[in-house]
Amino acid sequence: MNAPFTKTTLSRRQALFGAAGLAALAVAGCSSSSSGKHSSDLSGNRDGAMAKYGVGDQFKATAPLTFSIMVLSNPGYPYDAKWPFWSELTKRTNVSFQPTVVPLSDYNQKRSVMVGAGDAPMIIPKTYHPAEEAYIASGAILPVSDYLDLMPNFQDKVAKWNLQSDLDQLREADGKFYLLPGLHQDVWTDYSLGVRTDILQKLNLAVPQTWDDVHAMLRAMKAAYPNQYPLSDRWSSPGPGPGANRLLASLGDSYGTYAGWNYQHSWWDSASGKFVYTGAMDQYKQVLQYLNTLVSEKLMDPESLTQTDDQAKQKWANGQTFVISTNAQEVVNTLRKDIAHIPGATVAKIPLPIGPAGAVKAGTRLENGVMISSKARQSKNFVAMMQFIDWLWYSDAGELFAKWGIEGTTYTGSVDDGTFKLAPDVTWAGLNPSGTKNLQVVYGFSNGVFAYGGSTKLLDSQFPPEELAFQNVMNSRRTLPLPPPHPLTADQREQATLWETNLLDYVDQQSAKFILGQRPLSQWDQYVSELKGRNSDQYINLINTAYQNYKKAHG
Amino acid sequence: MVTISELRPGRKAPTPPTRIRIKPSRGYRVFQAVNAVILIGVVVVTLYPFVNILAQSFSSESAIRQGTVNLIPHGFNLTTYKTVMKDSMFWRNYRNTVEYTVVATLISMVLTTCYAYVLSKHQLKGRGVLIGIAVFTMFFNGGLIPNYVLVSQLGLRNTIWAIVLPNAINVFNLLVMKAFFESLPSELEEAAAVDGLTTYGILWRIVLPLSKAVIATMILFYAVSFWNSWFSAFLYMDRSELFPVTVYLRNLIAGATGAGGMNEGTSSDTALQVAANVQAVTVVLTVIPILTLYPFIQKYFVSGVMLGAVKG
Repeated sequence: MNAPFTKTTLSRRQALFGAAGLAALAVAGCSSSSSGKHSSDLSGNRDGAMAKYGVGDQFKATAPLTFSIMVLSNPGYPYDAKWPFWSELTKRTNVSFQPTVVPLSDYNQKRSVMVGAGDAPMIIPKTYHPAEEAYIASGAILPVSDYLDLMPNFQDKVAKWNLQSDLDQLREADGKFYLLPGLHQDVWTDYSLGVRTDILQKLNLAVPQTWDDVHAMLRAMKAAYPNQYPLSDRWSSPGPGPGANRLLASLGDSYGTYAGWNYQHSWWDSASGKFVYTGAMDQYKQVLQYLNTLVSEKLMDPESLTQTDDQAKQKWANGQTFVISTNAQEVVNTLRKDIAHIPGATVAKIPLPIGPAGAVKAGTRLENGVMISSKARQSKNFVAMMQFIDWLWYSDAGELFAKWGIEGTTYTGSVDDGTFKLAPDVTWAGLNPSGTKNLQVVYGFSNGVFAYGGSTKLLDSQFPPEELAFQNVMNSRRTLPLPPPHPLTADQREQATLWETNLLDYVDQQSAKFILGQRPLSQWDQYVSELKGRNSDQYINLINTAYQNYKKAHG
Repeated sequence: MVTISELRPGRKAPTPPTRIRIKPSRGYRVFQAVNAVILIGVVVVTLYPFVNILAQSFSSESAIRQGTVNLIPHGFNLTTYKTVMKDSMFWRNYRNTVEYTVVATLISMVLTTCYAYVLSKHQLKGRGVLIGIAVFTMFFNGGLIPNYVLVSQLGLRNTIWAIVLPNAINVFNLLVMKAFFESLPSELEEAAAVDGLTTYGILWRIVLPLSKAVIATMILFYAVSFWNSWFSAFLYMDRSELFPVTVYLRNLIAGATGAGGMNEGTSSDTALQVAANVQAVTVVLTVIPILTLYPFIQKYFVSGVMLGAVKG
């Protein structure tokens, strides 16, 4: 029997303190091991690695190894454990994968959860910069720039193709980068305008070379078909951009600014040696002016800024419009098929029209890449893993294997001398349409997780002759230099993001108004001061300070 | 109506009065007509999108691209259906969906019913705490990553239990069932206890048979919710053969629409036909089983809607 006055229940205060104490203990116990300095001593991590591994060597692990990897399952060619890709890879490198299969629809979310929970596989591909920045603060991913000495092929390509300034774009405030990007030898321009070439012939018009030529062409089309809009564009979502975002991006490239999908808030003005706010630039105004002229002359459908892709494609399919933004694949898959029912209708992708910036190509030669989980650093196979990644993703042999497969089985010839051909029964994206076995679906090659980047010759081997002609014209143009690095610290990034979100909304809104003529361009100066009211000056000062700091610290 | 005077013995039974037909007043007829028109309008507006989707799923891609498909299919073909259904992974995932739904609904029903029955007993010590725990989870959640860590560390990943256990009790359903059980007269249970039934016996033999309506409704609610769920499976399953069909179809739509023109797919005619109406086919394939079941459980659903209502 309980003695009287014995406390058998906790008072509220005791319970609260108890809970707080428990919570503190739990949190203390939860802190992950420090992710500060990574020791450069790799003597304990060389199991399975090749003692001598250099450019051009076939990587083969000295013992069978398994690496965990996140594999995006593209519904066009869903993940299949029986693909020859896996077995052939194991045969050549003695490495097999332990895959976590994630559907394409929500890849980013699952990646975030797994990395955030500390449970991610060692190799995390399909990461688009700057998505990796979110994981840096928690120390979940490795600063891969510290380990490039383990990757000879990567370094070789960076040196050969002069990719230093491209790589600098990925560097964070500590001077390191956390993503192993896909490397291209050259800027790959894919997008331009698709034009009804039969209409051009009918109206005796030449293929336009400059944006002024495009304007004249649209006028001529309107004169011949006064009740139609010759241009009704698509790709108004997702952002950034007010709508018709791909068209704006192309115009931005040609006028020497950023617009539409390419919009970034800061533009490097090499003349003055500082960054300026893009949305307030004169060149940006000229882009808006150009489109506003098209809209006011009734040459461009004002719904281009708001309609869905399906609506734009419908107008094209019904022969109501003759010009639309496109890329190579869309020309074949969509544009050509859609007008097949119109007798005599033909379409071609014209070389990107030239603007005041001259015959230039803008863009980066890097693309999505691989993150490495910090846990991998402690693995005893770490060096072998880095060598393996270097071979598969960055060596000529590895890239060729990932893209085209096995010589004699899936292809014949070489990409270097133009003799490359897919095997007769193998088909891929318009090459060998009569083939029965799809390279991606049946064999598992040309998988977007492994096959991207590479030399221009490798890239060209995938193009049909029509696209090769386009690429040749584009490759003859000068590549614009990239802005110098200006990375922000985590706190600065937070503040910048707040300003950026606000500014982007406003710029998009007002750009739409300027284009559609709802706001006259004579009010431009007023618009610039409205931007200042939304912290555009403070934002640019932050960027310029970051640039100066980086320059001082890392030269 | 029999009057007192007619009850006096000796009088013969009164003849029933002739039925008087009350003619509906004019106002009432107008009301009926307007009512009918409005309700038919609502039906049409509600049904139209579905019939349109059905038509699209059978139409050819060129008809869809030109936007000519309305209520009847143009260029009738079964290409997309065949492509989607030819994939063995599709059937594997469909089987998973059925499996997950059945198991999850069963477990959810057992757990919810027990919990609700217990909570309906006012004399239970700590009843307030138990209700509080349940309601607390309605408002507060650990968050995505803590939940993921928890499920992962319990070793539930890549098993059916990752889908079943964390979502086993829906608090809203729980409270509805509790309210229903509370509305059952306690005299029934007291009488059963007097007759010698144990608690479990009372639950099984008296309470549950009386609760058919609420049980059927809850089964419907749970089954539909598990049938449609994709997020738990997507999060906790790492192998494509464990996904339910909703994840499969969601991925199919994401790939076919190829956001931002980054389409890596094939360019064969089949792929284009599929891309044009894969969403429509998806909707039809996922909805059909529920559609076929629904007419049989509909009456429970209708009566179930008011189950949680306060009884005067």
